Amino acid sequence: MSSILYPLASLSQIEKTPSMEDGIPQDLEEDLRAYGCKLIHQAGILLKQKQVAVAAAQILFQRFWFVTSMKQFGVGDIGMGALYLASKLEECPIRMRDLINVYDLLLQRSAHSLTSKPEADFHYHPMTYFGSTFYDLKDALVVAEMQILKRLGFNVHVVLPYGTLVSYMQVLGLAGREDACERAWGYLNDAHQTPVYALYQIPTIVCAAIFLTARHLQIPLPSKPPVCWWELFDANWEDLWSVSGYIMRLYRKRTPEERRRVLGLVSKKDVRKWLDENQADLV
Amino acid sequence: MNYIQVGHPLLTLVPADHNLQLEKLGEGTYATVYKVGRSRTTNEIVALKEIHLDAEEGTPSTAIREISLMKELKHVNIVRLHDVIHTETKLVLIFEYCEQDLKKYMDQHGDRGALDPNTVRSFMYQLLKGTAFCHENQVLHRDLKPQNLLINRKGELKLGDFGLARAFGVPVNTFSNEVVTLWYRAPDVLLGSRTYSTSIDVWSCGCIFAEMISGSPLFRGRDNQDQLLHIMRIIGTPSDAQFQKIVKETPELQIKQFPRYAKMPFQQVLPKASPQAIDLLEKLLKFDPAERISAADALSHPYFTTAVASTPFGLNTSPATMPPPSFNFPHPHGHQAQQQYQQQPQPQQQQQGQIPSHMHPYSRPPVPIYNQHPQNTDPMTAAAAQSRAHAQAIAQAQAQAQAQAQAQYGQFPPPYSHAPPR
Repeated sequence: MSSILYPLASLSQIEKTPSMEDGIPQDLEEDLRAYGCKLIHQAGILLKQKQVAVAAAQILFQRFWFVTSMKQFGVGDIGMGALYLASKLEECPIRMRDLINVYDLLLQRSAHSLTSKPEADFHYHPMTYFGSTFYDLKDALVVAEMQILKRLGFNVHVVLPYGTLVSYMQVLGLAGREDACERAWGYLNDAHQTPVYALYQIPTIVCAAIFLTARHLQIPLPSKPPVCWWELFDANWEDLWSVSGYIMRLYRKRTPEERRRVLGLVSKKDVRKWLDENQADLV
Repeated sequence: MNYIQVGHPLLTLVPADHNLQLEKLGEGTYATVYKVGRSRTTNEIVALKEIHLDAEEGTPSTAIREISLMKELKHVNIVRLHDVIHTETKLVLIFEYCEQDLKKYMDQHGDRGALDPNTVRSFMYQLLKGTAFCHENQVLHRDLKPQNLLINRKGELKLGDFGLARAFGVPVNTFSNEVVTLWYRAPDVLLGSRTYSTSIDVWSCGCIFAEMISGSPLFRGRDNQDQLLHIMRIIGTPSDAQFQKIVKETPELQIKQFPRYAKMPFQQVLPKASPQAIDLLEKLLKFDPAERISAADALSHPYFTTAVASTPFGLNTSPATMPPPSFNFPHPHGHQAQQQYQQQPQPQQQQQGQIPSHMHPYSRPPVPIYNQHPQNTDPMTAAAAQSRAHAQAIAQAQAQAQAQAQAQYGQFPPPYSHAPPR
């Protein structure tokens, strides 16, 4: 049983993440984590990469921010490195050049969203043959991969939740409800944009996804002590509630300012500049 | 749990020997291995594996696998990864040092590569023990072969080179099909399986077992297809019903038309093997992966648990123990046999520095049985023959000592049974 467990962040790492120590507000860190994971997801789709590699990359990405501050590394670079590393781990490696091209496109697109021009006006400008963009991104990629490995002490073992979800749904007699399966599956995917995979073991996260599904689709499940369905799967109420909270916070409405703020903080340079400008207000 | 650093803080290394500073042990595709130092903290000799970081590929995936898996696997029959040093241009892995690999051991100590029955049994036990430990911890080695099994001077066998290994658990992904060196590759992998499991390592163990008994690889194919034919020529082509069952369990397999070969009795292929060895081999080399014995179950096979090994030619009377270490290094479990043995004078040659390869200081002196062999084609030089005579005298003393040692142990498994279960 022990070998299917994976490392989790410690209490002190959760209470004060390295980014918080550098003065990055908690809500901003949460949004940047989510945005970095969205970029990984988009890159995965454009590269036609397997979902297992994308999910593993997002888990490594989330773990990384419990040992490193966003002031030291940008979410763009680390996301790129995480996807490259996870693709190797899941035995579906991708070419560096393809990954760099895709990230270049995604970064240009987010830069475009920052301007006031309409979405439809976006045109991708491919890297020039003699420019340094490619080499800069490539260096950043190699460094990011190595830093993830080094700072996580090569603890790159990840466990994905999908198999567990299937068996829990079967046990609960919900495997036949397509709407429920789809929704729970979706919550598990969205949860990759939150730090929960670095905070809780798989059974707890899967139970939270099923719990949210049951609430939203109004599926009755035994939930009154002493008979609570999640106890069957060794999850406890407080953890389940906390994971559900992380997931639901993702769907919170953001103000236009909050959205723009995230788009402009993909690189560590931008984060440092933002900190210089805002530090005074925060203290 | 914390995200922790790999191993304990950097070991302080001092040269192992002032005369031999940087002895290159081997060069692989992505790394160079050196025997360099003695750790100041543990006083053990260590081997360093240098991995050059490539700007085109980033960190090699073999290195990532090796480090992430081996740092968790702590067992006497698995090469220990002590630490990892990380610089900008390279990664240096600090491993426990082992004198040689099984391939070289067989070349040097075997009779045309074939090892004596007791050594085979001891190595096989240790190989299965290490493999079972990997499987228990949900790791597939995926590249077991004699070159990747290391032997130290205590006669301990250790699984090394985890560059192709991977963790497995609840299956969510298919695995790479390009695994295991061809000659040791299981038939299900040859047929294209991507959902294989621990049974592929068991197949490799079976191939290694046969190779230790006979001295040469059992199935020597040129390519995937040829390898399958080599396998079928010996263990027979499965029946249509068997093929159907295999495909039902592993739908991605591509079954073509194969010539119908009858099963050849292993006794015919390996005349030297005892009936119990043959029985174990049959269970390890099942075509259908579902029928293959597990490494853990193989350990309790009668081949290992029966007290007296039946030796087919009735010549070998030495007890079922590992060859004891040769010269005067401190042995942690110093039992009587070794203590006696250490009192033997050392051959003069050993102290001169120039050691012929077959008289490596840690090598086992030839057992008398080989000298009686009329067709000994082992290329021996005159000087070596002289030292061999010397070694033979030692070997006789050793046999005596071993007899005493056996009286102490009585039963198999021999000294390495002190190995902790986990």
